[in-house]
Amino acid sequence: MKKPLVVLGFLGTTLDRHQERDRWSKWRPTVGLCQQEDLLVARLELLVDPKFVDLADMIISDVRQVSPETEVRAHLFPLRDPWDFQEVYEQLYDFVRSYPFAPDDEDYLIHLTTGTHVGQICWFLLNEARFVPGRLLQTAPASHRGRDSNPAGRYEIIDLDLSKYERLATRFAQEQERTLDLLKGGITTRNRAFNELIGQIELVAVRSRAPILLTGPTGAGKSMLAGRIYDLRRTRAGLAGEFVEVNCATLRGDQAMSALFGHKRGAFTGAQSERPGLLKQADDGLIFLDEIGELGLDEQAMLLRALEDKSFLPLGGDKPVRSDFQLIAGTNRDLRREVASGRFRDDLLARINLWTFSLPSLAERREDLAANVDFELERFAASHRRRVRFQKEAREAFLRFARGPEARWSANFRDLNAAVTRLATLAPKGRITEACVAAEIARLQESWRDPEEPQKPGGPLSAGQRAAIDPFDLAQLDYTISVCRESRTLSEAGRTLFAVSRTKRRVTNDADRLKKYLARFDLTWDAIRKS
Amino acid sequence: MTSILTLCGEHGGGQLLRSALALSLITGQAFRMTGIRGQRPKPGLMRQHLTCVKAAAGIGGAGVEGAEIGSTELLFSPGAVVGGDFSFAIGSGGSTTLVLQTLLPALLHAACPSTLRIEGGTHNPFAPPFEFIRHCYLPVLGKMGVHAEVTLERPGFMQAGGGMLTASIVPVKKWRKLHLTERGEAVETFGRVMQAHLSNDIARRGIATASRVLNWPEDRFEIHDATDSAGPGGIILLGARFANVCEISSGVAQMGKSVESIASGAAKGLRGYLASSAPIGAHLADQLLLPMALAGGGEIHTLAITHHTRTNIALIEQFLPVNFTVEDLGQGVKAVRCDER
Repeated sequence: MKKPLVVLGFLGTTLDRHQERDRWSKWRPTVGLCQQEDLLVARLELLVDPKFVDLADMIISDVRQVSPETEVRAHLFPLRDPWDFQEVYEQLYDFVRSYPFAPDDEDYLIHLTTGTHVGQICWFLLNEARFVPGRLLQTAPASHRGRDSNPAGRYEIIDLDLSKYERLATRFAQEQERTLDLLKGGITTRNRAFNELIGQIELVAVRSRAPILLTGPTGAGKSMLAGRIYDLRRTRAGLAGEFVEVNCATLRGDQAMSALFGHKRGAFTGAQSERPGLLKQADDGLIFLDEIGELGLDEQAMLLRALEDKSFLPLGGDKPVRSDFQLIAGTNRDLRREVASGRFRDDLLARINLWTFSLPSLAERREDLAANVDFELERFAASHRRRVRFQKEAREAFLRFARGPEARWSANFRDLNAAVTRLATLAPKGRITEACVAAEIARLQESWRDPEEPQKPGGPLSAGQRAAIDPFDLAQLDYTISVCRESRTLSEAGRTLFAVSRTKRRVTNDADRLKKYLARFDLTWDAIRKS
Repeated sequence: MTSILTLCGEHGGGQLLRSALALSLITGQAFRMTGIRGQRPKPGLMRQHLTCVKAAAGIGGAGVEGAEIGSTELLFSPGAVVGGDFSFAIGSGGSTTLVLQTLLPALLHAACPSTLRIEGGTHNPFAPPFEFIRHCYLPVLGKMGVHAEVTLERPGFMQAGGGMLTASIVPVKKWRKLHLTERGEAVETFGRVMQAHLSNDIARRGIATASRVLNWPEDRFEIHDATDSAGPGGIILLGARFANVCEISSGVAQMGKSVESIASGAAKGLRGYLASSAPIGAHLADQLLLPMALAGGGEIHTLAITHHTRTNIALIEQFLPVNFTVEDLGQGVKAVRCDER
């Protein structure tokens, strides 16, 4: 069942005013909206300036005549100056706040065509802020003169839910695509979890000024993401000031205080000149405090106050300094645990973890490796003015290794960046060859090796060879090799490896089966024993 | 009656709906109409149709589902039509005569006499003007045993509306079958312009055009100034009265349409009627189908069978045990016969 329709609107002291019989051939918005064949107004709430009560009487009686179904209620709405924004907004606000809206039982339309432009703006604002739970109604004279022209005019209902407009939706989608692209630094990522995360960050980055907390392992890209959120807010949310980035692990003691909050001259030994501090530098801008868990308790207290009051006392100063900064904090620690152990203030954590986003490690985003390798190469080219390319096979070998289970990427993008930088720097004539890749894989494996862990059973296989084998096969091969090493003869190893199937055979030939298997990887019993 | 008749409104307009409402009230047969005005630019029920549905429900104590703007499906389950005094107001100067024609047949079958007061437009485009009801439609029904009178209390034109007609209706004791195949002797022809709040010059231009098309002297026309109308408007009525029947062709003034084209349209309509020998014009034929079916038979000769007429016949045959047959008698005359099944 459709709900009864209620229209709220001003009496149009200009547009609704046509006198005498002639008025029926003229377009009068308030009357016209009640003459539409496909719009049945159950109730019309008419806001009437007391100076125009006579006009209101005529309009109300005409509406009753053309629309006996419509109940008209006039509300005296005195305005000293209908062009005064503050007055109109205040009055309309009071009106709608006291109006008994019942959106479950009635549908509401705000008639925008009558009233001053200021009135329109105020209606719009009240509607957008959902003080009026309805849609906007626009009326207009008939679009053409001719046989179908009609003094009732036409109407259009404007829904402020922009996603309902197909053409706008497409444009928003494109715009959002660009934004997401910006946040991802132009890297086409395929990892679903990461893409969802970026989508959420986009919403928050544009709509909220509140602090954001980025968690995730070292090198997961927190710092780069913070920089892109800054870029986004600068272009889309009117952020004017600077982007200031600081790693709290590098701040210690007095240095920390003065670096963040500044100091007055002579505040401490060596403070020979005044320093404004990083928070002041980020005034109207954004500060990224990485490793916020490393911040001392005193600094945490100061930071909390600075967040809440937008002001703080510099070291040695007695006058508070104002700074309106936005904050993004980064951490690789579990701050709740830090709070429990007394190393982090719970009130500061409460203040900064309104929006917490956990960045996945590179190892959790293996499908994004190829795009990130390309991105790192581009970055190298831009900073070194030297373009370096992979040979096709070399690229495949590197990616196979990079995506495989052996690649731990324990320092995440830092590892990837280092690897690509090394590959690009060492590449002969700007071409990264298979040999370069094999050497790099060895370097990475070495760097990820646990110092206590013995040398991996890489043994008889070179890094290049390993990189050319599917991880599926590699696990089996590694196990086979380790069995060979622990066995005294080829036959003994075969018996161990084929322990089940050999019992079902009439002729056992374990040694031969093992030999053939090893041969597929260019391996022999002797080579394994020697390695 | 427990079964519900399912009707497809896809190919019909508002008239199909009004006929179904009238038939349903008379027969007590509930119906569900789907795809109402399905092929119109704005499909579904518009305000004028809603008004008819609500008026029909009002006199017949009917249960209604889907009676809302834009609805393309309506369920109408009528109760008993008792009769009495009813009053309806139609928005936007919608047609009072269409509402009257929807309710009249049912009130003729009511237990006691009724009076109707309908406010809205009395002279609308795409609807019979008040004079047509008074001089053409009701006199033929009178031959069939109907006692009903209508009065124009105040004219009302589209947009402003504000017109009013009243009707007093006595239930039919016994229907008489209609046999209207001859016009009878010519009695008079007349021309009339009724207008409100428009300059006399407009009326004269309309008269000049009509008199030229019909080859009538201009003094056969009279001008009536409807000063009691709320809004501006006008209509040209051209009539021919015979011993057995009266025909009126009309044109309603519309914004953006010249008075000459309206007058010449109306005049050509009457000229076409006069050139033939059939007593019943196309519009009247359409309106007489239902009374013929209620009387259980009859025959009329008419000018042309319109699409409207065919849809109407099909609808009536679904509600009532009658068969209609149409025979082409040549020279532009068609015989429409109704027999009980």
